[in-house]
Amino acid sequence: MADSIITRRDFLRVAAGTAAATLAGGLPGGEARAAATATVVLVRHAEAVGSDGRIRFPIVQAMLDDAVGALFGTDPREAWRGLVTGADVVGIKTNAWYRLPTPPEAEEAIKRRVVEAGVAERNIGIDDRGVLDNPLFGRATALINVRPLRTHHWAGVGTCLKNYIMFVPNPSDYHADGCSPLGKIWTYPIVKGKTRLNVLVALTPQFYGRGANFFDRRYVWPYGGLIVGTDPVAVDTIGAHLLQTKRIAFFGEDRALDVPPVHITVADKTYHLGVSDRSRIRLIRSGWPEGALI
Amino acid sequence: MKPWVCLLIVLWSCPAVPAAGGQVRDAMNPELALPAEGGGWQWDRRPERHDSRTLYRYMDGAAELYLAYGFRGLTVRRFVKPGAPSITVELYRLASPADAYGVFTFERQDAPAGIGQGSEFGGGMLRFWKGSHLVSIYADGEGGGVESALLALGRAVADAIPETGPEPELIRSLPGREFGLREGSLRFLRSHILLNQRFFIAHRNILNLDGTAEAVLAQYLRGGEKLHLLLVRYPDPQAAAAAYGSFLTAYLPDSAGNGRVRTEEGRWTLAERQERCILVVFGAATEADADALLREAKGRLPRRR
Repeated sequence: MADSIITRRDFLRVAAGTAAATLAGGLPGGEARAAATATVVLVRHAEAVGSDGRIRFPIVQAMLDDAVGALFGTDPREAWRGLVTGADVVGIKTNAWYRLPTPPEAEEAIKRRVVEAGVAERNIGIDDRGVLDNPLFGRATALINVRPLRTHHWAGVGTCLKNYIMFVPNPSDYHADGCSPLGKIWTYPIVKGKTRLNVLVALTPQFYGRGANFFDRRYVWPYGGLIVGTDPVAVDTIGAHLLQTKRIAFFGEDRALDVPPVHITVADKTYHLGVSDRSRIRLIRSGWPEGALI
Repeated sequence: MKPWVCLLIVLWSCPAVPAAGGQVRDAMNPELALPAEGGGWQWDRRPERHDSRTLYRYMDGAAELYLAYGFRGLTVRRFVKPGAPSITVELYRLASPADAYGVFTFERQDAPAGIGQGSEFGGGMLRFWKGSHLVSIYADGEGGGVESALLALGRAVADAIPETGPEPELIRSLPGREFGLREGSLRFLRSHILLNQRFFIAHRNILNLDGTAEAVLAQYLRGGEKLHLLLVRYPDPQAAAAAYGSFLTAYLPDSAGNGRVRTEEGRWTLAERQERCILVVFGAATEADADALLREAKGRLPRRR
């Protein structure tokens, strides 16, 4: 039993460089393997969020097209036809947190391209907290994961990996140790292998917060970005890095979050869901460069 | 219909009862007359309450913090002022003053504001505890005098809570500033998940923090070096002995049972059990430093009553 317990000393050992084998595997139970790589697209537009705070749908649609085109190196509509087909039932997993929900404009932009790729509207669902009771999500063959980028009280950051917590009936079971077990949810049949695209909405990200329902406009800024990829770990790694960079720019230091976002690293090292090492993530930047931070 | 059913219906349909002085009584906390106004902000008159079933959704999944400290109920009030950010007041009722203190210390990071029995104010948020209540007040923006309104509302809510209560007895066992205690670092804890959020020890519950035990974690600064002291008190010596054995096996297997190891980063971890308590010093620069802190804390532990 004791062999399988991860303690503080395992991390001290890694930090001290006295256990190269542990470092290669990340954590006990991890496997040493060839270094994978991932591609993530960051697309930005200065006018995506108006001075009145409203999100402009045509611009978001164009940004999504840019991102998908750059990600797959092809025409966006052709790329979408590679992501989903007329035979698919597509669940668009959104996020409904009332302070900073997934913008309807982003949901609609995705839905339009899914429809154009040949999926009947009756076979497309958009849901967050009701996914377990939504028959469409029960028979979904493909998922598109879309949610806003923000800090999170329990997980450090609220990003794409975290967005699947509503696919389990007992979300609180995944809150231990900074939500480190979140990656496990991605191995369950209801979602495993179904995610075709992750869209982390960074139009107005929240870079700092405290407590569960904390929301302060001072810590939200009009970044005008979408972070898009097929690898949720890589997308989240870039998102978490952006928030960290913004905190340093804003506070002059990396002011600590309620919890460090360890679940992203664990999703890589333990559940092998993707790449959390930024040196192995190819970031394609597109659009508005001013204030990009990363 | 039975009389008690009628009474329930009446209570649920009359959530807010006007009281004198511009205050409005809260049906969930009938003894509290919460303010309806503060600093120019007015309550929007929409009563909102949560119990343990609805808290999870309200907290966007973060309900465990409050559930771990004996959550009894939450009253939320939103205050509005035209052209200004809205203000949210959250009034949590916990099982005991120690639990309210625990929630407060778990998240504390800013400077005190002199409200309630312990408070902090910063980043657009005021938090304080008083009696069995934890209060969180925050605005969704800045400007227009919102910060002074947060404080005004905080004082009014604190005045509406008549009870006070003691801090957990265990915190008196912590060596104080003379030993380098960083007071803002003190956390009162009841669950290993929460302990790990503040100071990761192990992903399994190797200290058997099952809700019947209580723990205090604090950071010290000695000679410019940080170290941590953890005190855990169990219901009885048998439970403490079992937890101590579990901790030694999982965390200090190389201590030959004496609870002393120079760990991988070159610092000292020392653990001891005394009656129904476990004391652990993590990360001391020298064994002597760890020993001194441990001895002092042992001498301060309450005797079993």
